[in-house]
Amino acid sequence: MAEPVLLRRVGHVDPTRLEDYLAWGGFEALRRALLRRPESIVDEVKASGLVGRGGAAFPTGVKWEAVARESRTPKYVVCNADESEPGTFKDRVLMEGDPFVLVEAMAIAGHAVGAEEGYIYVRGEYIRAYERIKNAVEEATRAGFLGDHILDSDVSFHVHVYRGAGAYVCGEETALFESIEGKRGQPRQKPPFPTTHGLFGRPTVINNVETLANIPPIVLHGPEWFRSLGPEDAPGPKLYSVSGAVNAPGVYEAPMSVTLRELIEEYAGGVRNGGRVQAVLVGGAAGTFLGPKELDVPMSFSGLRKVGAALGSGAVMVIDEQVDMWEVLLRLARFFAHESCGKCYPCQLGTQRQLEIVRRMASGRIRYQDILRLRDIQATMADASICGLGQTAGNAILSGLRVMGLDVS
Amino acid sequence: MHVIIDGQRVPVTEGMTILEAAEQVGIHIPRLCYHQSLTPAAICRLCVVEWEGARTLVPACVARVQDGAVIHTESERVRRARRTILELLASTVDLSEAPDLLAYAAELNADLDRFADGARREFPVYDDNPFYIRDYNKCVLCQRCVQACGNDMQFTYALTVSGRGFYSRIDTFYHAPMPETTCVFCGNCVAVCPTGALKEKGPFPSPQSPVLDARPSEP
Amino acid sequence: MTEMTVDWQRVDEVIARWAPKGRAGLLPCLEEVQEITGWLSPEVSRRVAAGLKVPLADVFGVITFYSLLYERPVGRVIVRVCDDVSCFVNGSREVVQACRTYLGIEPGETTPDGMFTLETHPCLGRCERAPFLMVNDEEYGPVRGEDVPRILDAWKERVRSE
Repeated sequence: MAEPVLLRRVGHVDPTRLEDYLAWGGFEALRRALLRRPESIVDEVKASGLVGRGGAAFPTGVKWEAVARESRTPKYVVCNADESEPGTFKDRVLMEGDPFVLVEAMAIAGHAVGAEEGYIYVRGEYIRAYERIKNAVEEATRAGFLGDHILDSDVSFHVHVYRGAGAYVCGEETALFESIEGKRGQPRQKPPFPTTHGLFGRPTVINNVETLANIPPIVLHGPEWFRSLGPEDAPGPKLYSVSGAVNAPGVYEAPMSVTLRELIEEYAGGVRNGGRVQAVLVGGAAGTFLGPKELDVPMSFSGLRKVGAALGSGAVMVIDEQVDMWEVLLRLARFFAHESCGKCYPCQLGTQRQLEIVRRMASGRIRYQDILRLRDIQATMADASICGLGQTAGNAILSGLRVMGLDVS
Repeated sequence: MHVIIDGQRVPVTEGMTILEAAEQVGIHIPRLCYHQSLTPAAICRLCVVEWEGARTLVPACVARVQDGAVIHTESERVRRARRTILELLASTVDLSEAPDLLAYAAELNADLDRFADGARREFPVYDDNPFYIRDYNKCVLCQRCVQACGNDMQFTYALTVSGRGFYSRIDTFYHAPMPETTCVFCGNCVAVCPTGALKEKGPFPSPQSPVLDARPSEP
Repeated sequence: MTEMTVDWQRVDEVIARWAPKGRAGLLPCLEEVQEITGWLSPEVSRRVAAGLKVPLADVFGVITFYSLLYERPVGRVIVRVCDDVSCFVNGSREVVQACRTYLGIEPGETTPDGMFTLETHPCLGRCERAPFLMVNDEEYGPVRGEDVPRILDAWKERVRSE
């Protein structure tokens, strides 16, 4: 395995000490970025081919460019650190282990798009990550890497750290804005998009933690280097959260050419007790189950799309043959019913009925009409819900049934 | 500028919604939460239509026209979503006083008992003031009352949605009875309720008797 | 904890600090106030609403939306057992069971002495330490059912000595 990029410092530095970060090349990218025109940084991020690592895979540079072009001020840079997708813990590992990189990346983003204020919204249950981030912001501000006239330039950037309060849906970008604004964290209808109407109705760049962690290396080493790190259609390193029935669960960095089998067998030490894979949930609760015959799929956006799945947050949850799949599906259905915000009808009502039907099926009463009902619920949620939560809330259930051998077509 | 709705070429102007454009040529798109005097909330999703090239269906009440857009208001995908939403709704609350919804359901061949084995949202009927009762067994959470009480009409802010998901509800500060809230009994919430969940008890003594038509326009 | 004595001075300090942010200070203000008061009573919420100039009903709507904000009394110690997919695969059911047995309550309930509240929780994002348990701000994982009594005994001691 090659030298990691994103996990380079994790476990090797004291994440509370700015000195450690500086000794490992920290803030060198910001120093260089400040000497350059904002447009050239945006161009470089675009050229790198970096796409969002939170789940939606939108090109980061395109977002930045749209906000940079807005003449309305103030503008904001928001870091989505509300990692709540089941089976996903990579952002937590980054924040706990290398918090300064986020601060540096946000300051670069601020310079690039013309924003002077940033918000980091950390998941409420991530107490240590929150404390580390808060400390990093304070330390960086004290040392002049944040605040007015960063490093004696004419660029100013201030960062506020917010804590979520227990709502999965706040990982949806517009719900996250609502939450910072002191409201119920419910998604907004899009368009308008955050690039024009984001936080406080202002042009806003919102990026996931892992996405931002790629920015300083891109600024330091250039887009060609970044593109050389992965397959042509999926540049850069990727973090995978591998958990469940494996010997060595953890966060692993790999190029997106890596296959699911390699992640499970080589990175995560294989299935526990020498057992066999029954199913793998890729992309978290919002993701899709793959069966044991689909393990050779490359873990890239296009690779997974070909098998009807999505990379999402890069979560890999391994279910071995010892596990009762019904119990797994029941938990997923319960998760969505618990986390639906209740705003739009398809998700508010559909997640509850989905849970009830899965509960009945799990207790052994499987009727053909239940599959039809689940299919209509899934299709309606996917087609008509406001946000990604509802749009994906039926995927894991239907794909899980398929892997279990039920005909759901 | 024009759009194509159900094969019909419809001249439109910038900023117009699909709902308005369709209305112009006499195409009625079902709707529930939409009310002409309120900010469109786009939450019931009954007005979704198929916009060629879009990944999901789009709510006609807020989606703005784009030149040349091709829209289908009655495709099988659209009808499936509307039918399922109504079936889900009928298994959750009492729609007996929502004739428009029942008419939509009939037209869509919805089976209103299809999810009857699921949980319903059940509440006591709140009769805590001289002016109106609140029967949330009939509440579809369209949030019109919250909007009317808040920024869209009265600026009184007595109402909110509490909770989350299926068990969300229209509520007051810690479930306080209406007389203990900021409610001024203007009656606007009653006037905009589409399902009979809010009902006046008698003639309003207030000089501001409600003037708004509570019902959505005829299908 | 139905009866409570509120340290209003500290509460008012928090409110004063967030008041300039207005509504955008609501979430952090509620979080910090709850750290002092344990839960958000109508009295406390009223104070926050007035300080930040947010309608009362809206404050209630916000509190009930977020699962880490409590509009009802909860224990001084909150036991959160992750019962999501990866924790389940690694035996979280046994941990939930051990907590129920030890505390004598069901998930969602609080012990009669007001010391513990038990919750099963959606994925807590510590899947590499599954099954995972969080007690207030402390993290435990991987944890087995047999570890539960020792962990909660220590918390009992800690609360009593405070």
